[in-house]
Amino acid sequence: MALAIRRSSSEVFGAAKWFIRRDCRVLSTVPERAEEKPVTPKRERQAVSRVRASARNPNLGLRHAYPEFLPDPNPKWRNSLREKLERSDMLKRRSQIDIPEFYVGSILAVTIADPHAQGKTNRFVGICIERKGCGLRAEFTLRNVVDHQGVEVRYDLYDPTVQSIQVLRLEKRLDDKLLYLRDALPEYSTFSFDMDPEILPEGTPVPVNPVQVKLKPRPWLERWERQELKGVANIEEHLKEKDRVRRELRATPWEKYDLMKQYRKTIPIEDQNDIWAEVNHQLRQLQLTRKTSARKRTFTTPKPQLG
Amino acid sequence: MFKSLITKLNCVQTSRTFHTTACLNEVRLLSRLRVVDNSEIGKRAMAEGKPPKVICVYNKKHVGYIGDRVMVAIKGQKKKGILVGLKQKQNVKVPKFDSNNVVLIDDNGTPLGNRIHVPIPTILRTILKEKTHSKGADYTKLLGIATRFV
Amino acid sequence: MATGNLNLLRNAFSKLRIDHVFTRSLQRPRYRPPYWYAPKESATSDEFLTQENKQFIEEVMQDKMQLQNSLQSPLVNIDQNETPTWNPQTRRVGLIARKIGNYPLWTKDGKKVLTTLLQVVDNHVIKYIPPEEFNPMKTSSVQWKEKRKLGCMLVGSETIDPSTVTREYCGLFSNAGMLPKRHLFRFMVSPESYISPGTPLYATHFRVGDYIDVRAKTMDRGFQGVMKRWGFKGMPASHGVTKTHRRPGNIGSGGEKARVWPGTKMPGHMGNRWRMLRGVKILRINTQHNVIWTLGVAIPGETGATCYLFDTVLPLKKHSSSPPFPTQPLVDDLPLEYFDESIQRFDERSITYEEV
Repeated sequence: MALAIRRSSSEVFGAAKWFIRRDCRVLSTVPERAEEKPVTPKRERQAVSRVRASARNPNLGLRHAYPEFLPDPNPKWRNSLREKLERSDMLKRRSQIDIPEFYVGSILAVTIADPHAQGKTNRFVGICIERKGCGLRAEFTLRNVVDHQGVEVRYDLYDPTVQSIQVLRLEKRLDDKLLYLRDALPEYSTFSFDMDPEILPEGTPVPVNPVQVKLKPRPWLERWERQELKGVANIEEHLKEKDRVRRELRATPWEKYDLMKQYRKTIPIEDQNDIWAEVNHQLRQLQLTRKTSARKRTFTTPKPQLG
Repeated sequence: MFKSLITKLNCVQTSRTFHTTACLNEVRLLSRLRVVDNSEIGKRAMAEGKPPKVICVYNKKHVGYIGDRVMVAIKGQKKKGILVGLKQKQNVKVPKFDSNNVVLIDDNGTPLGNRIHVPIPTILRTILKEKTHSKGADYTKLLGIATRFV
Repeated sequence: MATGNLNLLRNAFSKLRIDHVFTRSLQRPRYRPPYWYAPKESATSDEFLTQENKQFIEEVMQDKMQLQNSLQSPLVNIDQNETPTWNPQTRRVGLIARKIGNYPLWTKDGKKVLTTLLQVVDNHVIKYIPPEEFNPMKTSSVQWKEKRKLGCMLVGSETIDPSTVTREYCGLFSNAGMLPKRHLFRFMVSPESYISPGTPLYATHFRVGDYIDVRAKTMDRGFQGVMKRWGFKGMPASHGVTKTHRRPGNIGSGGEKARVWPGTKMPGHMGNRWRMLRGVKILRINTQHNVIWTLGVAIPGETGATCYLFDTVLPLKKHSSSPPFPTQPLVDDLPLEYFDESIQRFDERSITYEEV
């Protein structure tokens, strides 16, 4: 009994703490609100200027298509010469194999030279659920459901055993990482291996697939409810009251205003300009040569059929 | 009816008490596996909701990696099996599966079933060939009953 | 004559004095740092400098830089036939490099290997002291019997602005006609591998496939406990353990040995120590930027740390054939990059495996 009382009292204390903190938070929001009016136009202006900067500088658009050209922002690991050498190596590899533009959510087919496989090549099709790493360490993960069994394979983007990377469907999803597909119903990550590539007309922006997946009931691999996912439809129906309270308590809504944190996690635009100016020309050249060679191939293929 | 209810309850309890390491998803002692061949005992164990439990991993680390031999407790019997797919993080180009898969074999390495109904990683070909010695068990027979490689 | 006799007498008496002998045996040798340990940083302030004077200083600096860059390598004048040949006993000069990061390379059989990049920045031989003249202070009481006498070669790296260092430090470099360098290091070399001062050293001093020893300072981790410093296991998190989760536990036994033995592993400062990593393989060399790719990520120090490269002393990994001796002169038509034969180039075709 005494124990119970103690526990309950501690709970009350804990709750009181949370309440006090939350009250404080409410109090702290008051001046923020008061400030909001002058702040918001500034931010808009910033956004506008950013948009303008990106419109002025087409290089900056590349940072979403080729994120691995940007180095790791940790200042402990920065070195301009190493980054330059790394980029030149990446471009050399790109001149050998067509590494296309793709995003998390795109469906890829990767063929690798596999010493273990029967024909010494191995092809895997799947949806890209994660992209990470900078420079030559860049890697991506494909996920598919084969024979009712979820399979994921991780590939190095610049691995010389990769024979080809083909984008079967170029699209984006609502989230940066699709790791929740592991807990979603299998039909959301099932793709047939003999899928035909869907070709987008030239010049169209990359479409965003607004599909919202349905999660299987718990247990889950991660606490998805705390991650502010946009691509999940039924997250609320699996939650208990306890989870909602915890989610509220663990939420960090101030983090998007933490400019220092953003600065530490990104490469400044001035640095990016230098990098893209160096890389952009060669990337464009590679694309052009690819296009012309592809056209040639389409012209040359009918000949043997005719003859 | 009552019996099945009890077994279900038991199953829930056992699955709560023992589990693989949460973040690493390692195959350790007493972790549950999924039998993926069509051997009679394996099929029945999976259908009853009593998946086999690891009671020995035959390597020095006591953590099962891909292609390792394990001893499992399945329906009150001791059987040997080979891990053919793992949930834990794998090397680059090696597939990672959503469940820990096992194929039951006997002492000579002959599989108890005659078909595996999930994909098998190609790297198993090399691993099992390395593990097979001329006088010991022949584990490569397992590759013959596989339907699909990834 | 008389004074000479007097002096002799005095010497004899002085030797007879017991206290003199006694004190002499206790006298420690005074610390005698090598002469190139001149004070380096000068605390000059430029508040009294006018704009014109600043410009003038910059001009002088530019001129000196040009002069240094136009210096011809003394190796050009040396006749190839006169130079002594290399044998396994000779010791060559090493290099001063900077660790600039890690990234992966792939071998021809498709395996990923992590490499460390070392940049050789602006290395020049500053001075050579032949073995007869080189007389460093003996720091330890243990006297090693020198089998062969080695000369001392000073190598500097990374030119700096002379106005930031003291005049004494600048004077060390003036004989070779060099501007002062940020790093100055002593390499013990055998006399036949003499290189005249002013010779630039490049990354091609080593060859691809060679093994080197790398000496550098490890990362400074500060005062660390026993678990991080020595890898102790600590104690359980629960089961009645209080306040001793990361502590060392017992540090000695009782009885005859009721004291802490010297060398017991205890908490203390970790890192920031000179460590030598032996037998590191060179996988790739860039001749344009003087960058060396070495196998593995175990080279001490963080990114940007200075490290010293030597020919390895490991008997099984020593040079089997003659390396560039005494060093590789600057040749214009060197290929841009050298690769070890096991390494896949990035501009080669993708790896395919043959069906066996």
